Amino acid sequence: MSISETARMEAKAEREYEKKHKSQMRLKPSDIVFNIINYTVFAAFTIVCIFPFYYLFINTISDNELVRKGLINFVPRGIHFENYIRLLQVNDLFGSFGITFARTVLGTLLMVLASAFVGYLVTQQDMWGRSFWYRFLVITMYFNAGIIPWYLNMAMLGLTNTFWAYIIPGIVAPYNIILVKTYIESAIPGELQESASLDGASHLKIFWTIILPLSKPILATIAIFGAVGHWNSFQDSLILMQSAPKLYTLQHRLYIYLNTTSNLSALMSAGSTSGISKSVLDSALNGKVIKYTIAMVTIIPILLVYPFMQRYFEKGIMIGAVKG
Amino acid sequence: MSKEKLTNVVYYPYRVISVLLLVILFFPGLNVARISGLINRSTSLLTTGFSYGNLISNFGRAFKKGWVMESTMHLLNVSSLLICIGIIACAVGACLSLGNGKCRFTGNLLSTVGSIVAAFSMWGIWSAYFQVAATTKPSKVEPMFQNFFYIMLAMLVVMVVVSVAECFLVGVPAKDEKFEMETKFRLFLMFLPFILLAFVFCYLPLWGWRYAFFDYKSGDTLSMDSFVGFKWFAQLVRNKSTTRDIINVMKNTLAMSGLGIATSWMPMAFAIFLSEIKNSKFRRFVQTFTTIPNFISWVLVFAIAFCIFSTDGFISSLMINLGVWSEGKNFLMSGSHTWIKMLLWGLWKGLGWSAIIYIAGISGIDQQLYEAATVDGAGRFQKMWHVTVPGLMPTFYVLLLMAVAGILSNGMDQYLVFENSSNTNQIMVLDLYVYKMGIVKGAIPLSTVVGMLKSVISVTLLYVANTISKMIRGETIV
Repeated sequence: MSISETARMEAKAEREYEKKHKSQMRLKPSDIVFNIINYTVFAAFTIVCIFPFYYLFINTISDNELVRKGLINFVPRGIHFENYIRLLQVNDLFGSFGITFARTVLGTLLMVLASAFVGYLVTQQDMWGRSFWYRFLVITMYFNAGIIPWYLNMAMLGLTNTFWAYIIPGIVAPYNIILVKTYIESAIPGELQESASLDGASHLKIFWTIILPLSKPILATIAIFGAVGHWNSFQDSLILMQSAPKLYTLQHRLYIYLNTTSNLSALMSAGSTSGISKSVLDSALNGKVIKYTIAMVTIIPILLVYPFMQRYFEKGIMIGAVKG
Repeated sequence: MSKEKLTNVVYYPYRVISVLLLVILFFPGLNVARISGLINRSTSLLTTGFSYGNLISNFGRAFKKGWVMESTMHLLNVSSLLICIGIIACAVGACLSLGNGKCRFTGNLLSTVGSIVAAFSMWGIWSAYFQVAATTKPSKVEPMFQNFFYIMLAMLVVMVVVSVAECFLVGVPAKDEKFEMETKFRLFLMFLPFILLAFVFCYLPLWGWRYAFFDYKSGDTLSMDSFVGFKWFAQLVRNKSTTRDIINVMKNTLAMSGLGIATSWMPMAFAIFLSEIKNSKFRRFVQTFTTIPNFISWVLVFAIAFCIFSTDGFISSLMINLGVWSEGKNFLMSGSHTWIKMLLWGLWKGLGWSAIIYIAGISGIDQQLYEAATVDGAGRFQKMWHVTVPGLMPTFYVLLLMAVAGILSNGMDQYLVFENSSNTNQIMVLDLYVYKMGIVKGAIPLSTVVGMLKSVISVTLLYVANTISKMIRGETIV
């Protein structure tokens, strides 16, 4: 099932909903009760999902003294943005931000290009040993050696404590390759490739001028999943970068801050070794607000891209389901 | 034997040795340039050649005190680099051997030059070794000679012979011949780099399973002296404290996976009831905002938990402000109801997201079925139960079987971030246990054994689930 078909079906269902809705103008009492309960439950769950983000946010922009006393519960008071400015003083945070940004951009770019190219190659029936090599890739989704052999392997390859450990292993992503392959097979007419190759276009040229532009929707989808994955990555930083704190990702940094600064007095005595500079502490900020602000900074990029990307998120899961 | 046939026969060792040599570049265990104990154990020949900084990272003191001359290390570095380049040239030659006369000719030239350069560069390593061996401080510098040197040298010499032979066998192509290769091989060669990547990062780790049979501590080299057979496997059942840990870990793992499976109908219910909401704007709103938590990491979920449930978080400060409590409570530092809490966090994060697939499924159900049901006098709930649910069942089965197959894989991020001293006994799942034991405590063999058993059981479960699915529904899930 292609995306356009799915979208069409959704639109159709929507229209029929509307039609049905109009024809049933009069509601029975039992329907009213059902609707009230249904709306309430969904509204409640939605609030549970978004309130924490709101709470986090108002606590980072409200007056720090009020926050410390726990008086900011629903409404921000004494709004200021100094906490965000002060984050620049927090050691290592900026570096981690850069590392995470770099890996998100570079890692996603390489993964998308590789998935597109490999996805295209495995649709080519003439390839020597095509089905064998395709299976060779796909089967890796269903087993893994385990975290310790994985770590030892990375150490053996000399990738531990290097930036490339974030990028290279992620280039070949079997699931995304399947998505691209399915998309090319279902949404790009084979005649297009055939006529191009009759005109003498090479495989690379066909890939670059036909496949890549035409598979933009699916590439956008895997790009977004890939980027979110890179942004959220934590485990590889935790395990592979043990002696390279400069390469910690933002999530790893946040994890460290959340744990080391759990009480202010411990932070004070530990001084700058805990990762937060003295000047921040001297300004009577409490540890709580710093943590909230760092968390907020880590969440914001995702919240910002989310509305634009939502439709791709949904497409992604549906194409996956069709494959299933 | 005809010349053409001979050419093809000689190409077999040519290709095999090129591939082997290329793979050797990546194995630190087979690094012939590791002529001193000061060179990091995890340095491969490739790293030795391309990263001088990595090569001499431990030599600061040795250079200062004059135990090793810096020129020696330069020699080693340059020799390794030349070997790497030579071997890569051979590999390119092997790739080109799949093409026509001109491709083969070019490939043969490349591999001839490459293998000769690499073979001569072995001399550089040889002499660097003797310079290191002449050090005044052997106890610190630990000069060592890799016996693999001879094997590698032999391989390179064979490569030289074979390449030269191929040069004569293939001969010079006609002047107007162009580079050509059959489509099937061209496509394969384009695919090859990705096959290699998958091999290195997905298949090669399986080689690490050998640690399960050795007495190994981080940083040691494996030798047959430390081979212990099934000792670590036996320890799982013989050593009382290990057994107790494993039983506890399995209890937590199965309990939390079991709770997850027991609630796996919830996304479906979520989707069904959401589709009963007629106001499409509200529906959209709910869907948008309940999906957001899926896209933040577990660390951020913990940050959220921290701001809501810690001593000075939302709940505590609200209760204090209302005068219900006199002081804040820290819900995160308690060991009670850990399984349920983890389940709820999982639902908070994943419910809206998991429902999307069912929402899509509902829009795919034929509307005529609903109309027919209405005509037959079915009410709202009857329609849900007799039309919608059966329509979603195939999807549900697939996801359920996948969940059963993944019963041992809870992932570790969630449990790692929520773990603390008071809930560690309830929260320790298999993945987290393997991490703690292997990476944090350094008990690599034992944790490899546990991870290995887990992988084998998981694959078996997946196979069983797939077979069941094939039997019941006539369709496979993977």
